[in-house]
Amino acid sequence: MSDVYLQALISGLMIGGVYALVAVGLTLIFGVMDIINFAHGEFLMFGMYGAFFASALFGIDPYLSAVMALPLFFAIGWAVQGVLIRPVVGKSHAIQILLTLGLSLLMQALAQFLFSADFQSLKVDYGSATFDLSGARVSYTRLAAFAISMGMCAALWVFLQRTDTGKALRACAEEHEGAQAVGIDIARMYKIAFGLGIACVAIAGIVMTPFFYVAPVVGPKFTLVAFVIVVLGGLGNIPGAVAGALIVGVVESVGALVMPSPSLKDLAVYVLFILVLLFRPQGLFGGKGA
Amino acid sequence: MSLMEAKGVTRRFGGLTAVNAVDFRVEQGEIVGLIGPNGAGKTTFFNLISGFLRPDEGEIRFDGQSIIGHKPSDICKRGMTRTFQIVKPFPEMTVTDNVMVGAFNHHRDRAAARAKASEVIELVGLGPQAAKLGRELTVAGRKRVELAKALATEPKLMLLDEVMAGLTPSEVAGMIEVLGRVRAAGVTMVIVEHVMQVIMNLSDRIYVLHHGEAIAEGAPDQIVSDAKVTKAYLGESFVAEAGGGAAS
Amino acid sequence: MAALRANWFYLAVLIGLLILPAYAESEFVTAVMPRGLSGSALLHIFVLIFFFAFMSQAWNIIGGFAGQLSIGHAAFFGIGAYVSTICYVHLGLTPWLGMFVAAVFTALVGAGLGLISFHYGLKGPFFALVTVAFAEITRLILLHWEFVGAANGILLPFSPNPTFWEFQFTSKEPYYYIALAMMLASIALVAWIARSRFGYYLHAIRQDEDAAEAVGVPTKRCKVQAIALSAALAGLGGTFYAQYTQYIVPDDMVVGRVSVEILLGAVIGGAGTVMGPIVGAFILIPVGEATRVIFEGGGTGTSLSTLIAADMSFGDKFVAYLDYLAAGGGGGLAIILYGCLLMVVVLGMPGGVLPWLAGLRARARRRAEASA
Ligand SMILES: Nc1ncnc2c1ncn2[C@@H]1O[C@H](COP(=O)(O)OP(=O)(O)OP(=O)(O)O)[C@@H](O)[C@H]1O
Ligand SMILES: [Mg+2]
Repeated sequence: MSDVYLQALISGLMIGGVYALVAVGLTLIFGVMDIINFAHGEFLMFGMYGAFFASALFGIDPYLSAVMALPLFFAIGWAVQGVLIRPVVGKSHAIQILLTLGLSLLMQALAQFLFSADFQSLKVDYGSATFDLSGARVSYTRLAAFAISMGMCAALWVFLQRTDTGKALRACAEEHEGAQAVGIDIARMYKIAFGLGIACVAIAGIVMTPFFYVAPVVGPKFTLVAFVIVVLGGLGNIPGAVAGALIVGVVESVGALVMPSPSLKDLAVYVLFILVLLFRPQGLFGGKGA
Repeated sequence: MSLMEAKGVTRRFGGLTAVNAVDFRVEQGEIVGLIGPNGAGKTTFFNLISGFLRPDEGEIRFDGQSIIGHKPSDICKRGMTRTFQIVKPFPEMTVTDNVMVGAFNHHRDRAAARAKASEVIELVGLGPQAAKLGRELTVAGRKRVELAKALATEPKLMLLDEVMAGLTPSEVAGMIEVLGRVRAAGVTMVIVEHVMQVIMNLSDRIYVLHHGEAIAEGAPDQIVSDAKVTKAYLGESFVAEAGGGAAS
Repeated sequence: MAALRANWFYLAVLIGLLILPAYAESEFVTAVMPRGLSGSALLHIFVLIFFFAFMSQAWNIIGGFAGQLSIGHAAFFGIGAYVSTICYVHLGLTPWLGMFVAAVFTALVGAGLGLISFHYGLKGPFFALVTVAFAEITRLILLHWEFVGAANGILLPFSPNPTFWEFQFTSKEPYYYIALAMMLASIALVAWIARSRFGYYLHAIRQDEDAAEAVGVPTKRCKVQAIALSAALAGLGGTFYAQYTQYIVPDDMVVGRVSVEILLGAVIGGAGTVMGPIVGAFILIPVGEATRVIFEGGGTGTSLSTLIAADMSFGDKFVAYLDYLAAGGGGGLAIILYGCLLMVVVLGMPGGVLPWLAGLRARARRRAEASA
């Protein structure tokens, strides 16, 4: 394998790891609540801004921000579910899409109003440090983003498999009425699912800030990529989402090499997406394995 | 030539064979009953002949032509229409508009479709409810709209899936009267029903489905005395008779 | 009764709109409009209203009547603008004809997208996602295609003494009347659809596709026709936009925000109704423009980045930041309002404003009947 391809493969896997965390948040929400969240990427954007201002104003390291974001964004997700999303649970998909679309529009514009449309970037001392991996350059910040995201996915998986709350969440994902019948508090499960999903995506945003610009418009791309991954991995299927994310990451970075222009890399991802939707709507790994 | 003929129709869901090598035939002008315990495969069979599901094996001919692989709308255009056991009125349309959608099948023009719709609405006795929205109707009203939509497409053959389920005895009597009028209008029908008296009185011929197989066929009096049928229903008969009315 | 009164109301509005340009500079208009808005600035706002009403009406056919939520209509809009502009710039074809070339082209693209999506049974959120991906793909292609100017887009050749044939005008009035005519034509078209078999079929599809198919509605074909027609109209809108702004560029046109703005009017006014998109646009655009005029006037001149880096105490920074926000912050207030409106409508009156009003009237009538 030539060096450029090895490099592309490695950076694809690195960013794919972060995509996994974004997508796992989305698929958890979808699996448990059957809600398609079009505002998903906007929570990522707010996570990034949080880390940016914490660093620019108070010198807080982004990795510390990531830790603090967990309870904070969990609470935000909990509240958003309780106030905005709850009324449309069980309503038509059109209503749900329009509501979350409205939320996404609002959050983007709010970010523009509060933080301006300017692109910002968070600078850390170790931002440009790299090491050599059999001929490919890997930056420490990307490796950290990958490792933290993968760790979060694994932790979430263990949480869902081992704890009582996790099992209750999975029961909701399987069968809403059934879960209710055995005495699970569905409304609370929904808040937990949304809180966890939002915390995941916000942390994914934060761990990217050392190497990714911050702007009000970063969200939609991640929303769409997360959908691609979730469809690829099978709706509601968490290991499927992780595998799908790594595939998308690699397709994207290899796409950047083979496409006439590197900024056309997303084209490969969207074409993959449409193909999967058309020919394998149940995903590559089957649905609802959460 | 039979109006509709199915030969060896089979459909599997995973490991379950919901409809197994069923032979079925309907002659012009008949009312054919289709009975069987819950889960026997009656609705699945309707889905197969109306084009909503594709059979894994077998042949279905309507009016002399194979209709395998045709879309339901196409089969409806050819003259075979079905109703749904779980009724599907268009919730945000008035009863008249609901029925007009069916009437457009043979009338391009709005005024003609409306005229056809009012005719059908009178026939099924929905006149007083014509201006109500689909979602505002009672169960009995919905069942009648379901029937009216199908009738408005001017079918040669109509497949009725439990149009009496969930009705009170007096509503059932009303519905029987309506079906009498429909028959008088020359429409051939296949009726799925759990209420035995109804099916015995209305049908010229009856098929019995059990675990996806057609275990008996014949005139109503033959069917009641058929040992296989009694056996199929024994043990399940109380479920079918008592619970069947509310099944949906 | 109510319908009759509504018709009189619409007729009165129409007459007002027809004569408005003649009085756009009058003292009366200057006196009643906020901040003395008048003349070409006033006409510009009406052009925007008509234009968005038209685009929303186009979306309404597939998104409202047929109930297939497209969040990618900016693609048809953009493609339409590019097609007629390419015809104009490279072939010298007048935009008056180019717009129909654009419409045919976008109709074909729409039909292709519909055929693929509906053939594979994509519904609800999955169809919506495909439209989003389709719009992104369109944007990326335009953004990298040198022939159409790539990221710089196309600046339409400016003629100093434009003729009617060139679809360029030095004053706002002609654009005003063209946009008004397009809006009226779209209303007439959709009103006709609503009363036709096609319209009944689309409504049936939106409410229950299986039930529609069972009574003879060729659901797939109807949906493909609906998206093709909708895309054709959006393409016409693209040409108008290109001629009006004289400048087309992918990152302004084929973006998610535009797709959402296109569907917003219909959803707020009442998707699947004839006048919903029009009412929606007449609510949205004035609200948006008013917000811009009132809140985004000055600006403090400092950028946020300078503020963050400034050598001040945190408290001073915070006060300066409040000033910054008070002067309109980074902008976007109008879109904040749009987002809020969309959520309020979805939560509070899910069918949109017009059906909500109709519901209120029906309830009042029933109460009156009950008490009589
Ligand atoms: N889409 C499907 N996927 C999997 N299994 C199905 C599907 N549709 C029906 N079945 C199964 O096929 C069998 C036959 O069902 P069907 O609905 O045809 O029975 P039925 O005779 O209409 O019963 P009922 O009297 O309760 O209406 C049942 O076991 C049912 O669970
Ligand atoms: Mg059944």
